[in-house]
Amino acid sequence: MPRPLHTGCAPTTCGTVDRGTTAPPRSPSPLWGGVGEGSAAGTRLRLKNQIATKTLIDRRSFVRMAGAAWVAALESRGAFALNRTDAVFASAFMAPDGRYGVATLTEAGEIVDRTLLPARAHGMAFSPVSRRAVAFARRPGTYAMILAIDRPAEPVVITAAEGRHFFGHGCFSADGRLLYATENDFAANRGMVGVYDGTAGFARIGEFPTYGIGPHDMALSSDGRTLIIANGGIETHPDFGRTKLNLDHMEPSLTLVDTATGALVEKHALPPALRQLSTRHVDIGADGRIWFACQYEGPRNDLPPLVGHFAKGEAPTFVDLPERTTLALANYVGAIAVNRREGLVGLTSPKGNAAVTLDAKTGAVVREERIADAAGVAAAAHGFAVSSYCGSFKGHPNAVAWDQHIVRLGG
Amino acid sequence: MHLTLFLPFALLSLAISGAPAAAQEGEAPLPRVLDEAALPGVMARAVDDFILPGYRALSQSTTALAEASGTLCETPSDATLDAARSAFTDVVGKWSAVEIIRLGPALEQNRFERFLFYPDRKSTGLKQVQAIIAKGDESAADIESLRIKSVAVQGLGALEFVLYGTGSEALSGGEGDFRCRYGRAIATNLETIAGELLAAWENPDGIQAAWKKPGPDNPLFRDDREAATELLGILVHSVEMVKDQRLRPLYAGTIDGRPGRDNPKLAVYWRSGNTMASLSANFRGLQALFNGAGMENLLPADSRSIAGSVNFLLKTLARAADRVDGPIDAALADDKRRATLSFIALNTADLLDRLNRDFGGAIGLGAGFSFADGD
Repeated sequence: MPRPLHTGCAPTTCGTVDRGTTAPPRSPSPLWGGVGEGSAAGTRLRLKNQIATKTLIDRRSFVRMAGAAWVAALESRGAFALNRTDAVFASAFMAPDGRYGVATLTEAGEIVDRTLLPARAHGMAFSPVSRRAVAFARRPGTYAMILAIDRPAEPVVITAAEGRHFFGHGCFSADGRLLYATENDFAANRGMVGVYDGTAGFARIGEFPTYGIGPHDMALSSDGRTLIIANGGIETHPDFGRTKLNLDHMEPSLTLVDTATGALVEKHALPPALRQLSTRHVDIGADGRIWFACQYEGPRNDLPPLVGHFAKGEAPTFVDLPERTTLALANYVGAIAVNRREGLVGLTSPKGNAAVTLDAKTGAVVREERIADAAGVAAAAHGFAVSSYCGSFKGHPNAVAWDQHIVRLGG
Repeated sequence: MHLTLFLPFALLSLAISGAPAAAQEGEAPLPRVLDEAALPGVMARAVDDFILPGYRALSQSTTALAEASGTLCETPSDATLDAARSAFTDVVGKWSAVEIIRLGPALEQNRFERFLFYPDRKSTGLKQVQAIIAKGDESAADIESLRIKSVAVQGLGALEFVLYGTGSEALSGGEGDFRCRYGRAIATNLETIAGELLAAWENPDGIQAAWKKPGPDNPLFRDDREAATELLGILVHSVEMVKDQRLRPLYAGTIDGRPGRDNPKLAVYWRSGNTMASLSANFRGLQALFNGAGMENLLPADSRSIAGSVNFLLKTLARAADRVDGPIDAALADDKRRATLSFIALNTADLLDRLNRDFGGAIGLGAGFSFADGD
């Protein structure tokens, strides 16, 4: 039997960085329901909708690095030759000499082409309409690079705005015109979505809140009208690198935000019993169902739920994974992808050295593989492409360390 | 000296060749496996020979500081002010050795930010401290109400301003009464936090038990590999901290033969002249952890030289930091000491690489240790 989750986190009674006020809920709060095995099953808790809007300690301006340096770092031939028809995946990597880049790969996991980046990249996104891909610098990153596919064009480099940094993920609008990026308003400890206009050199044309702390991955709903954002709930600040500053008072949530207005549509805060469960990655099923994957910051010997799903307007439900699978995933799902055509959900865990495939209809485990340092996952022609820090991609060895995510270029 | 450290992108203009990846496969190192026999002993020594002694020393030092602060308030004089400042410097040294432990109890209840709020680039914390002193805010002189105030007004940064900032000369006479009592409250707060850190680690059933026995029922480490990752993480993340958060903000290096735009007032502890002493203590703390825990024992026999390199770099860096003496603004204006700062910057980057890639790879944590820390 799985152990019950620890629920008793010491309340923070000591001094904190004062972080603002509480805003009233903007919309009726759905309830969090149907949590899975090993959690506070049956507990139905009203959501919070707390939005930090100001900070009393507005500390630390952020040192921006010169965007021109990144452009200068590109190979002289400039355009990233993504126009080979056999390139169906892209992923960030680290070369054996420690340098970073982005590569495209074939369905078989062979590298087609690659280019260098001046800093480590993390998540990527692709627009089948504009045929552009984007690679985001890893948090707390200050760059993103947009690559044109099918035509020779200089990559576009955007830098984070003053007082913001990227979290490593984003997505394009349905028409491919806009780019959305998860960002940190670190002085206010508030997640933001930066909006960039692809018709104007990806100039930053606006921003709106993610209505949570520490947003990470983000996906666009099938109708293009809603962003689904995984607010991991973890506070970070560039002055402290990647240190997680609030593990004893995290605020994970999933939010749906209207792309037209930036207004909050729904917010699903995790219940107190699961507040150390960081909601980090999302993908969308063929039926529009939102799948999300988590990383647990609580006691290592807990068996928290790690993956769940919901449709707009309904409460999220966790998949009741077998204990064996929860153990295999080591309380840490690094990436999630849906194979819409086959109705499958892929999960990877570098900490657990595991890749798991679920049936999207039933949540049942249909495949569990041991893959050392399993990193990225993306839908393949059949099943999933899984990469690893050790260099394997769909089983094919490469002399690079693949980063945590893979994007499928189209279809 | 042309310092490329702060211009890493320049290096990247040497773009990688378009050679197929397969051509480089021969360079891949042999797979390494973590020495599971050595790991539990290393974790236990990290606790018993570094963490506990470090927090014990900090606890004693903060007690001495609280006492010296009390004496200063009761009998203000040049001598008691000197004694309080000296006790402050001692706490800075002890804290700098253990601030590298940014995990567990130090991260709970914002303890490490409460102990040292840094950096304070927009001087927001400083303004709060100045306002407290200007208004004579009695709630800041009371330990219970101080500890729930902003983290910026209750730690070493605030106390440094009290003891060394504008108006601190009043402390040696009777007119500094409120300022002194506020400083005493901060010192007592630091003593309390240090006591909490020590108690948390001394509890035989607490975090030290988890560190010493990784396993399926362990709340922190399910296996030895997870424990080794945490331990090496202290070293890697601390070197990153020194390089990116302590050195880079203050020292801009030399660009095209000219000094860059330094920011001496962004330096930690610049008012008390403890900037480089703190960096030195960071390096010495890292070395005390590395050797105290016997991390060399995790290396396979054919890779023990990596430990020698790490030790050499840590020792060299600590000594170099000691050579950058005097107020940091004066050091930044002196070519000789600038050259030493450049040396520290360059070798800190080298140390990071050796820990991250060489040591991490050799003990079986993968080709690039911090590459694999997920997200």
